[in-house]
Amino acid sequence: MELTVDKRWDLIDKISKQTVKFKKYKSTLKEVIGELTVKPLTGIPIAIAVLYGFWSVFSSFAGFFTDGFLVKLFDEHWLPWIQGAFPGGLHNWFYNLMVDVGHIQNGALVPSNSCFESFGALTSGLFVPFGVVLPAIFIFYLMMAVLEDVGYLPRLAVLVDTVLHKIGLHGYAIVPTILGFGCNVPAVTATRILETRKQRFLMMTLLGIFIPCGAQLGIMQEVIPEYMGLIILYLLFGYFVTGFILNKVFPGKTPEILIDVPPYQKPLTRNVMTKVWVRLSGFLKIAVPFVILGCLIVGVMYLTGTMDWLANLFGPIFTHWFGVPKETVGPLVAAFMRKDLAVAQLSAIEMTKYQMVTSVVLVSIYFPCLATFAMILKEGGKELLGALAVLVASTFIYGGLIHLIWILLGVA
Amino acid sequence: MKVLLMGHPNVGKSVLFNRLTGTNVTVSNYPGTTVDYTKGYMRLENKEVEVIDVPGTFSLEPKDKAEEVAVKMLKENRDAVVVCIIDSTKVERGLYLTLQIIEEGYPVVISSNMWDVAKDKNIQIDVEKLEQILGVPVVPTIAISGEGIKELVSKIKKAKSVEIETIVKKVGGET
Amino acid sequence: MNKKLSEMKYGEEGIVKNIEEDLRIKVSGIGIRIGKKLKMVTKQPIKGPVVVVVDKSTTSLGLGVADKIIVEVKK
Ligand SMILES: Nc1nc2c(ncn2[C@@H]2O[C@H](COP(=O)(O)OP(=O)(O)OP(=O)(O)O)[C@@H](O)[C@H]2O)c(=O)[nH]1
Ligand SMILES: [Mg+2]
Repeated sequence: MELTVDKRWDLIDKISKQTVKFKKYKSTLKEVIGELTVKPLTGIPIAIAVLYGFWSVFSSFAGFFTDGFLVKLFDEHWLPWIQGAFPGGLHNWFYNLMVDVGHIQNGALVPSNSCFESFGALTSGLFVPFGVVLPAIFIFYLMMAVLEDVGYLPRLAVLVDTVLHKIGLHGYAIVPTILGFGCNVPAVTATRILETRKQRFLMMTLLGIFIPCGAQLGIMQEVIPEYMGLIILYLLFGYFVTGFILNKVFPGKTPEILIDVPPYQKPLTRNVMTKVWVRLSGFLKIAVPFVILGCLIVGVMYLTGTMDWLANLFGPIFTHWFGVPKETVGPLVAAFMRKDLAVAQLSAIEMTKYQMVTSVVLVSIYFPCLATFAMILKEGGKELLGALAVLVASTFIYGGLIHLIWILLGVA
Repeated sequence: MKVLLMGHPNVGKSVLFNRLTGTNVTVSNYPGTTVDYTKGYMRLENKEVEVIDVPGTFSLEPKDKAEEVAVKMLKENRDAVVVCIIDSTKVERGLYLTLQIIEEGYPVVISSNMWDVAKDKNIQIDVEKLEQILGVPVVPTIAISGEGIKELVSKIKKAKSVEIETIVKKVGGET
Repeated sequence: MNKKLSEMKYGEEGIVKNIEEDLRIKVSGIGIRIGKKLKMVTKQPIKGPVVVVVDKSTTSLGLGVADKIIVEVKK
């Protein structure tokens, strides 16, 4: 037999009267902090401090291992060694794919002297994931795990609720958003905690387009640290503006937030370590093969002339509309596979600071990486089509807009 | 036999799942960490038993996709023993879902988790009385330290389905 | 004195008197029911959610929902 809702609660009241007693107790420090972090007057400054702290630790530690140790290892030892040890040479296509494509200097083809330029599967293909991204996402995932385990996210959700309502979401959308900065794949699945279809669609679209993942942040921190702030600013701005417009265009209501705010808890070392390890091994298993595959595909496209053909085909759009060199087409192809690889590739193209910012923003927004793409497809085919439409529109409009800003500032 | 872990969000289902099966599903301190189900195996009296971790749900009427997964898993595993995990600081709410599951006829064991937090908040729960009223095993547990897990496991085979009328009568009410 | 949950002041305590019919099931999930004692912790500015303590557990709900809950406060 089944009870009605009211009868069930009646029964529960009777049971709990006989079995549960709430005795007096003094509130603990944890609870005091809990309240301080959720009251706007104290909570908002704390939230800013927490996010800023997160950011500064990430940016100072991410490059620490890479610059201090791994770059040397790869550029001074691994690259010269494999350039000599691998059979063939710059005029052998297989050598080009695996080790080094070389580059033109004073009309002659010369070997590359860094793993950013060589673009072989065994050089850049290993350097990007192991030398740059791995240390960066290690520190990123570590801090994220601590943040998750402490119990801060629900409080952040309460603080940002009002703002996110403006873009058709509610505070809890901060969870997929923050997860997305780690990796978009679990973030897309996490949209399941949002109640309506409209919310899920909005969230997936915004994640896929505007939230750069940890790997991408890591490589950006390494190759273009000075433009990082500007790029993130552009992306977050796009996130809100696009969300605002989509919210107006798509029908459907945004439900109110209704969440428990769990007590703070000391993070459990073992749990934090396990989580970091699980996520890193996920990266190694999925990302590394994709980076290497990406290197090979891009390499083949260069060798067969496909890339030049694409560059000439889309060249006018790139140079006139977005204001970036037509060579950017290469990284955009790579970005289908991995955004980190695409950014690495961009860094080797010669362009101005402003063109660099535009092209990195383009690489970020123009297409979610293959894994994210597959995940959105899994969560909803119709959603994917919608997301793609929004994506094409926002890439063109937003890319053009940034170009326009540079023109107006007189720096394009 | 199958064991299904059900409960509200953030009550410690995934911690318990990891302990029972030795896997590493994600555990975080916010509701809605788990959004899909995971299957694992544990040994129970020298037999391999399937254990399923699902997203947290407030009731059997899902309000989002994550809750849908949980309810679907319950409905798909009619033969499962359900371990209802309750946050000991929120017994009343936890009982709502538990009663719904009991009403559906599933054999149930209750894990009164976060026992340490309830103690800190000076919340006293009369476990024996609760057991007697509900007619199903109730085991206080602290999933993160492992306390009470052995006992919980030993009670799994004692799980049985009870008639809701019996419970109503025991507290002196009428249906 | 009866007032809306959304109108309670910081730190104020009260007992839930009435909840709009269609919301009852929804908010019972986070522990808010008629007859429950709750304490307001904080309200977020510009129509943000409220945070309350019920049975020693903290929970938060949107202002639109808090508007539809009537609470009796002492004095
Ligand atoms: N103090 C204490 N904390 C616990 C206990 N069990 C779990 N936790 C913590 O509670 C939080 C939630 O645990 P999870 O296992 O992720 O909860 P869940 O029920 O799987 O949550 P969802 O997947 O969101 O439904 C984590 O931070 C755990 O460390 C316990 O017995 N005592
Ligand atoms: Mg879980």
